[in-house]
Amino acid sequence: MESEQIKELQKTLRIYELTKAILLVDDFDELLRIITVETTLLFNARGSIIRIVENNKLGVKASIGISNNVIESTSTIDFVDGLSEMAVMQDKTIIYNKTDDISTITDFNNALCTPLKTGSVSLGTFTVIDKLDEQGNAIPFDENDVKLFEGFTTIAAIVIKKLCLYEKALLKEKEANKEKLKAQELNIYLQSLINNTADAIITMDTDRVIKSWNYGAENTYGYSRDEAIGKSYLLMPDFLFDIERLYTERVKKGETIKNVETVHKTKNGSIIDVSITMAPIKDLYEKIIGISYISRDITIKKKTERELMKKNDMLNRLIFIGSAMRSTLDLERLIRMILTAVTTGDGFGFNRAMLFLLDEDKNILKGVMGVGPSGHEEAWRIWSTLSMENKNLNNLIEEIEKGPLRKDSFMDKLCCSIELPLSDNTVLALSVKNKKAYNVQDAHLHEYANFPLVQHLGSTSYAVIPLISQEKVIGVLWVDNLFSRRQITDNDIEYLSGFTSQIASAIENARLFERVYQAEKELENIFESISDMLYVTDTDYIIKSVNQAVVNKIGKPKKEIIGKKSFEIFSDTFVSCETRFKNFLKKSGEPLIEEVEDTFTDNTYLLSCSPILDSSGNILGNVHIVRDITELKKLKERADANERMAALGEIAAKVAHEIRNPLLSIGGFARRLERRLADEEKDYARIIVDEVQRLENILSDTLSFVKTTRLKFSKVNLNEMFDSIITLLEPVLQERQNEIVEEIPHDFIISINEERFREALINIITNANQFTTSGTIKIFAERRSIQIFDSLGDFKIRQEAVISISDTGCGIRREDIPRIFDPFFTTRTNGTGLGLAITKRVIEENGGRIEVQSTLGEGTTFKIYLNNEEE
Amino acid sequence: MKLLVVDDEKNILKLYKVELEDEGYTVVTANSGKEALELFEKENPDIVTLDILMPDIDGIRVLRQMKELKPNIPIIMLTAYDYRDDFSVWVSDAYVVKSSDLSSLKATIKQIIEKGNQ
Repeated sequence: MESEQIKELQKTLRIYELTKAILLVDDFDELLRIITVETTLLFNARGSIIRIVENNKLGVKASIGISNNVIESTSTIDFVDGLSEMAVMQDKTIIYNKTDDISTITDFNNALCTPLKTGSVSLGTFTVIDKLDEQGNAIPFDENDVKLFEGFTTIAAIVIKKLCLYEKALLKEKEANKEKLKAQELNIYLQSLINNTADAIITMDTDRVIKSWNYGAENTYGYSRDEAIGKSYLLMPDFLFDIERLYTERVKKGETIKNVETVHKTKNGSIIDVSITMAPIKDLYEKIIGISYISRDITIKKKTERELMKKNDMLNRLIFIGSAMRSTLDLERLIRMILTAVTTGDGFGFNRAMLFLLDEDKNILKGVMGVGPSGHEEAWRIWSTLSMENKNLNNLIEEIEKGPLRKDSFMDKLCCSIELPLSDNTVLALSVKNKKAYNVQDAHLHEYANFPLVQHLGSTSYAVIPLISQEKVIGVLWVDNLFSRRQITDNDIEYLSGFTSQIASAIENARLFERVYQAEKELENIFESISDMLYVTDTDYIIKSVNQAVVNKIGKPKKEIIGKKSFEIFSDTFVSCETRFKNFLKKSGEPLIEEVEDTFTDNTYLLSCSPILDSSGNILGNVHIVRDITELKKLKERADANERMAALGEIAAKVAHEIRNPLLSIGGFARRLERRLADEEKDYARIIVDEVQRLENILSDTLSFVKTTRLKFSKVNLNEMFDSIITLLEPVLQERQNEIVEEIPHDFIISINEERFREALINIITNANQFTTSGTIKIFAERRSIQIFDSLGDFKIRQEAVISISDTGCGIRREDIPRIFDPFFTTRTNGTGLGLAITKRVIEENGGRIEVQSTLGEGTTFKIYLNNEEE
Repeated sequence: MKLLVVDDEKNILKLYKVELEDEGYTVVTANSGKEALELFEKENPDIVTLDILMPDIDGIRVLRQMKELKPNIPIIMLTAYDYRDDFSVWVSDAYVVKSSDLSSLKATIKQIIEKGNQ
C-alpha cells in the first residue's frame, strides 16, 4: 500500500512537472524534450517518441531511451513499428505487446501509442515504450496507463499546438524583421546614392518649394543645402519661368518629364546647360505631394556638341570653299576667293587677310593680295553683305567678283607693296623656313615680329600660316583681327591650317595652269611668228592648222586653207615631196628633211616633215616645216663664188706675173718693128702688137682683181658720179641706141671709195649696154631701213642705200645667173670675163653687196646694196 | 736728160733703153735693186723708172731709199696693174701701168720734165 501511494505520488509529481513544463517552457524543442523525459519517468518506461506531422509525414521531433540508429532509420519513414500510423489511422490509442506479433520490429516488448490531437486536427503521435517493473523487466501497459497517457497527451497536444502557432508567429516576425532590415539598407543605399551622385537631385513640393538638396545640386548650382531649401524657382533664368511653370503643371497632373535639355542659372550667375527629369512624388494614396527634380549638368556635353557642330559647319564650308576653289584656275580670282573665305564672318571670320607668295628666284615673299576693311564702319558693311550662308557657288563667286573686297583696296595696295627677304628673321620668313604657323599675340614682345610691317598694318596681334603644297612652302597667309580685337586662338590656327593645305594646292594648280597657259601661248606665238611656213596635215593630206607665214605666202585667209587638201593649197613641188615623205615616213617613222626647188617661184625650200604619233606609235598626221632658203642659198653661192675667186685669183696672179714681162718684151719690140716695117710685114707686126695688147689687158684685169687694196672712203654725190659716168659712156650708149634714165633722189650721198666704185658702175653700165640694143638702161636709187642684229646680238634698224641698174636687154640664161660674177665667166666673144667679178669685188670692198635678177629676153637688173649708216 | 731704168728683166731693159733713147734721153739701166741704188748715186739720173717686183730688194724699198738719198729726183713707179691706191705710188711722183705700149710711160716722163722746167 505504501509503495502504491508512493507510486501515485510520483505519478502526480510527474504530471505536475509536466504541466509546469508545458506552461512555463516556451521553446518548442525543449518542451518536447521535457515531455518525453517526464513521460518516460511517469511510466517508469524505457523511452518515448514524439512525432509531428510535417509535410504529410510523421517525423520524429523528440525522443528518449531509443537508440539513435532506430531514430535515424525511422525519422523520415512512416512510423517504424507501424504503431504511429495505426494510431493516426484508427484515431485511437494502440497498445502493443510483443507477443501479439503485429510488427516485424521487435526492438522493444511493449508500447503505447496515441495520436496528438487538438479537436479533430491530428498533430502527430506520442509513443511510450517498455514499461518496466522494479526489477527492470518489461511489463505490459494496463488500462490505467492508457487513461493516464491519453489524458496527458491531450494536454501536451494543446501545448504543442500552441507552441506550433507561436513558432510560426515567431518565424513570421523574424521574416518581417529581415524585410525591415532590408528596407533600411535600401534606404541608406539610396540616400548615399542621392548624396553621392553628380546629378542634382532635388525634391520640391507642389509649389516648387525645395524640400531636399543633394551634394550634386550643391556642386552643380553652388548653393548650399541651407541656402536652397525653402526657396522656389531658384535655378531658372528669368526667361524660362513660363516654361518651367508649364513643366510643373504637367508633373502635377502625374506626367513625368524626361531628359529635357534646358539651361539653368547657378549661384554665380553663369548659365549652364542641363538635362532635367521631373517626376511626381506620390503618397500611399497615390496623391501627388511633390516633385522630384533631377538635373544633370551637360555644359561640357553641350560644348562638345557645339564644337562638333562648329567643326561640322566648318567642314561644310571648307568643302564649299574647296569646291569653289576648284572651280577656278584663274590665280587672281582664286586668291580673292581664298581671302574672302578667310575674312567673311561665317568663313573663318578674320578681319583682314593677306596672301604672300614665295619668289624662289629672288628669295623673297611677295605680297599678292590683301583684303580687309579700312575702318570699323566699312568693316560692318562688308561683313553684313558678304556671307556664305545660303549661297550657291555661282552666287558666291559673283559676289566675290563684284563684292566689296575689291582688288584696289587700301589693304590690297599695301599688301602688294610688301616684299620680304627670306634671309631676314621675320615671322613670315620663319613660317616659310620652319613650315610652321605663328600666332603673334603681341608684336612688341615677339622676338621676330617685323616691326616696320607691324606699324604699317597697325595691328600688333596677328597670325601667319604657311601654305604648304606637297611638302613645299609656296607662300604664307597673314591674318589679324584689328577691328574685333578678338584674340586669335590656337583653334583658329588649327582650322585655318586645315584650310591652308587646300589653298596651297589650289594655288599651285592655278599657277601650274597659268604656266601651262603661258607656255601654250608662247608656243602659239612661236607657231604664228615663226618665219618658216608651218602646217599640219592628217593622214589624208587634209590641212589641220597653218601659221601666219603660210597665210602670207599663200595669200588666202586661214579658214580658206584649213580643211583643204594640201595639194589644193601648195604647189606640186611640195605635194610630190609630201607624197614621198609619206611613203618614207610609213617605212621609217623618222622625220625627213629635204631641199627642193620650186620651179614656179624659182625659190629653194627646205622641207621638213615629221610624223605626229599617238601613244601607240600610229601616225596621226604630219608636221611640215617649209623654210624658204633661197636667200640662204644665194648667200652660200656667194660664199662659194668668193672662195672660187680667191683660188682662181691666186693662180691668175702667179700666171700673170710670169707672163707679164715676156709679153711686155714681145709687145714692145713688135711695136718697134711695126714702126720700122712696111706693107704686109707692118701688118703682121701689128697683129703681134694687138694680140699682145689683148693678153696684157687680160693680165691687167686679172691682177687688178686679185690685188689687195687699201680703200679711201669719201662722201660722194651719186647724182654727180652718174652724170660723169653717163657723159663718159655717152658714145658707146649712142652706138647701141640705148636710152639712159636716171631716177636718183637729189643729193644722194654715199660713202664709198670713189675711183673704184666708179669703175664698178662703169662696168655694170657697160655690161648692160653691151647686152641691150635700142633699149633703156634705168638707174634708180633709194634709201630704206632694214632690221639687223648687231655683233652683240641686239636688234637694230639700219639705213641702207639701194642702187639698181636695169636694162631691157636679152637677159641672162637661168643656169648662167649663179656664175655671172665668176672670174673669166663671159658670154661675149671679146670679153675678159673679169668685169663683173671685179665689180662684185669692188662693191664688197665698199661694204656692200650686189645681186642680179634676170629674165631671159626681158632684161637684167643689178642691185647694189650699200650700208648708208652715218658714221 | 739721164734716165735710170730699173727692172729685173734684161729684155725689158733693152726695150726701154732703145725706146727711150729714141726719145732722146740718156738711159742707164739696172737689173736689180742693189744695182739700181749704186747707179742712182753714181750716175745721178734726172728721172728714175722703177719696177716694183724685183728678186733682191723690192721696188718699194728701193723707192724709199732713193727718196731718202735724193728726195727731189722724180721717180716713176712701173706697176703691173692699176696700183694707184698703193702707198708706194703716193710717195712716188707718178706711176705707169706696165705695158708693151710705152706711149703712156713716154708721156709721163715728158710731163715730169715739163713740170720740172716750170
